[in-house]
Amino acid sequence: MCFRLSSMFLFLLLADLAFTQEPPSSPPNQPSVKELLERIDRLEKRVNELEANEHKPIAIRAASAAQRPAAPMQSQQPDTASALSAHEQMPSSELQQVETHYPSLQIHGFGDVDFSATDHKGSNSGFNMGQFVLHFASALSGKVSYFGEVSFTAEPTTYELAVERSIVRYDYNDYFKLSFGKYHTPIGYWNATFHHGAWLQTTISRPEMVKFGGSLIPVHFVGAQAEGNIPSGGLGLGYNVGLGNGRGSLFSKAGDSGDVNSNRAWVANVYARPSRLYGLQVGGSFYGDKLSTTPGTKFNEWISAADVIWSKEHPEVLAEYANVHHRDLATSQTFNTTSYYVQVAYRLPWEASKWKPYYRFEYIHRPGVEPVWDFSTTPSVVDLVGSLVGVRYDITNFAAFKGEYRRARSAVNEPNVNGAFFQTAFTF
Amino acid sequence: MNRDRKIASMSLGLACVMLGICATIVAQTHSIDVAVVVHPDTPVSDLSLADVRKVFLGDRQYWTSNLPVVLLIRAPVARERNVVLKIIYQMSETQFKQYWIAKIFRAESALAPKVVYSNDMANDLVTAVPGAIAFIDAREVRSGAKVVRVDGHLPGEPGYPLR
Repeated sequence: MCFRLSSMFLFLLLADLAFTQEPPSSPPNQPSVKELLERIDRLEKRVNELEANEHKPIAIRAASAAQRPAAPMQSQQPDTASALSAHEQMPSSELQQVETHYPSLQIHGFGDVDFSATDHKGSNSGFNMGQFVLHFASALSGKVSYFGEVSFTAEPTTYELAVERSIVRYDYNDYFKLSFGKYHTPIGYWNATFHHGAWLQTTISRPEMVKFGGSLIPVHFVGAQAEGNIPSGGLGLGYNVGLGNGRGSLFSKAGDSGDVNSNRAWVANVYARPSRLYGLQVGGSFYGDKLSTTPGTKFNEWISAADVIWSKEHPEVLAEYANVHHRDLATSQTFNTTSYYVQVAYRLPWEASKWKPYYRFEYIHRPGVEPVWDFSTTPSVVDLVGSLVGVRYDITNFAAFKGEYRRARSAVNEPNVNGAFFQTAFTF
Repeated sequence: MNRDRKIASMSLGLACVMLGICATIVAQTHSIDVAVVVHPDTPVSDLSLADVRKVFLGDRQYWTSNLPVVLLIRAPVARERNVVLKIIYQMSETQFKQYWIAKIFRAESALAPKVVYSNDMANDLVTAVPGAIAFIDAREVRSGAKVVRVDGHLPGEPGYPLR
């Protein structure tokens, strides 16, 4: 009954709208909608005029600033405090907002707590503390800045403190920035992009080829580096060129306290970020050094690497390849170790984009006998085939949970090891 | 009966007019252009969208050797910020925050963009700080500020990409 009445009412309304002979007209003494809109337009115009008058002093100042002859560039150094002093009428809170005091130290901390369980014989499952990392960034002036990174790594009886990066950089312009200190060697993408602090990376761990404490690629580099953009229009080319100590007496470490020989290592990295394909990065790196495993032995080391990256998260694709070539200078024997990984992740759109599943395959193939890797009793580089699948859940903007299943074998004819890994990683 | 019909038809007519006004307001709100504004002494007047992206990603940090870029970006929730995140950065709010933390601690930039809380504040600062660049609602750009063409278009022109 109720439905029928409603239907009839709706029908009558529609019929009236369609066939009414007398369209409802506004009484002559009431303004029409069009007139009201015109009135609103006039009032908006008036408000804009009043606002413009109110802001006139600032506009006049800006216009007169524009007409001034160009001041010497030195006066435009980013000492914002002096640049702003001419604008007395600006609210002081706004001035404080943009004023940069030197040095302007920013500190960020990174930490993670992990749980692991594997079927590897002799291993124990359980919790462990990840690295506790502090990052420092400080502008010392408009053109000089400092970056530092220290880590505390849990050891059985203590925490090991290490200076991971310590860089002072002078920016001449976008095309030339010169720095000195200790870096993560710009070979490939991961090592120069994701530093200590597991929160920065999608997965729980780094790929084996760039893992901290690993030897395949010299993760750290002590010396000098020039970097910048290369004028190339839409191609978006950039470079890093470095000269430094190379590997230390322990191949996984850089020579922080001095070089182990009088030969300098060098590194060159070129990459492209095409503007038409925002998110894409393609790069290539080369590294050269001379090594000595024991007194009297000498090896040339030549590393070539390439990477293709799609850094957006829908999807995120990271693929890197590196070949490490060693040549025994006494016998001219050569040894090549090949490695690569491909990692794919996708930030799911629902639940505020908090979920990000991922997958990684990695591979390292080394010769059966490799005098540099087999220098000590335990080989420093393994023959690896492995993959992992996992998911990252960003609890907040600054903390994440990650869960991973891994399966890998770390030597030819060795069985696969399966493991489950969990991590909560955060920045503060 | 006639009176009731007349009242009903008038109500319906009024509802239609209200709907029309709302639709117009919504349409106007969504088509407001966001202007790229720089300090008057900045030596640029025309940038491609890719160049604007490069500047706001911190990949271009200097206008000239002695004039660093000072990025000003609206605080969260502002429409101008949403336009910048959607069109320039193509990132969510979370991704944007993570991007700048990572950028600074990769040692690629010493300072993150400065946050401004209103178009008035953006207008004040962009005309006062050498090298400053900001996004401002095109209707609220004050005279004296330098509006940059993006892909050859000024706000309000057909083909302007930031809206």
